Amino acid sequence: MLLRGITALIVLQIIGSGVQVLLLPMLPGPIIGLLLLFIWLLLRGEVSPALHEGAGALLRYLPLLLVPPSAGVILYAADLADDLLKLALVLLVSLTVSLWFTGFFMQWLIRRQQRKEASHE
Amino acid sequence: MSDWHAAWQAISGHPLFGLGLTLGVYQLALALYEKTRWVFVQPMLVSVCLLSGVLWLLKIPYAQYASSSQLLTLLLGPATVALAVPLFMNLRRVRQLLWPTVLTLLVAGTLATVLGVGLAWLLGLEDWLLLTLAPKSVTSPIAMLVAEQIGGVAALAAVFVIITGIIGVLLGPEFLRLCGITHPAAQGMALGLTSHAIGTARALQEGEECGGFSALAMSLMGVSTAVLLPLVVALLV
Repeated sequence: MLLRGITALIVLQIIGSGVQVLLLPMLPGPIIGLLLLFIWLLLRGEVSPALHEGAGALLRYLPLLLVPPSAGVILYAADLADDLLKLALVLLVSLTVSLWFTGFFMQWLIRRQQRKEASHE
Repeated sequence: MSDWHAAWQAISGHPLFGLGLTLGVYQLALALYEKTRWVFVQPMLVSVCLLSGVLWLLKIPYAQYASSSQLLTLLLGPATVALAVPLFMNLRRVRQLLWPTVLTLLVAGTLATVLGVGLAWLLGLEDWLLLTLAPKSVTSPIAMLVAEQIGGVAALAAVFVIITGIIGVLLGPEFLRLCGITHPAAQGMALGLTSHAIGTARALQEGEECGGFSALAMSLMGVSTAVLLPLVVALLV
């Protein structure tokens, strides 16, 4: 089961890379694979147990899979040192504002929708 | 003396050395997280710090480590494809709030991306840093792929993503409540859209609705960034 799910995911990623070269050079291959799988799930209407197990296994170890490429940051340590304060400021300010705005906007839209539904009844 | 040297060569030059080292460091980081339960000690962040230190101490070049840990890196592609599964499962759950969700994704998602890049530009940071900052609100596998695609640096993108997530969790639902944002769907949307997987883990602690919307926001933001950001950059640059 587990192996069948992972096989499907690997095949989709490889097909995605082929589609990237043929049709969509601006999108990463794995993202094309993700979209293909998503469309397939929409058509099918459910997630098969094998796929559920395979996806769950890979996603559980996602942080581990990200460690080797992230360690490549040591190659850029020197470049970053000069801009450290500016970068910290950018990350803190943009996150705080976006977090507030996203929550505020979503809540406003939800309340508006609820008011509309209430007035229709 | 020369025997010791040869033995060390056999160990550090082994094609499994990078994989073994990564797994070992990750176990250590997991144990530390389980002991402390601090948001600061995210296993991935701690692993990267430990690993960088070990590589530096042992004088192992990054390229050599990268090639001996390829087994892990290669699985990132299929893992990204696998994100379609939680995206699909959460989509079914939130049909009633479809329009607020879609509109928030478009407007707030654009703001989260543009604000970071705009601020960095105002502060005079270099172009390659702007491109690396652009996908900072997106879950790391997608952010790393997108950063690389548009001319940023994948490894750095991952670091910005994690720092963003940690700030999001530190502010968290408490900050949102202070601002009068109390609807669980709105809180979840805010955490998932801006702070991806790390924010979603926090949102899940708040409850089913908050967590579900956070997971949805995270996947939608990830996919739309992956699709749109390379297109926008291709048009502008």
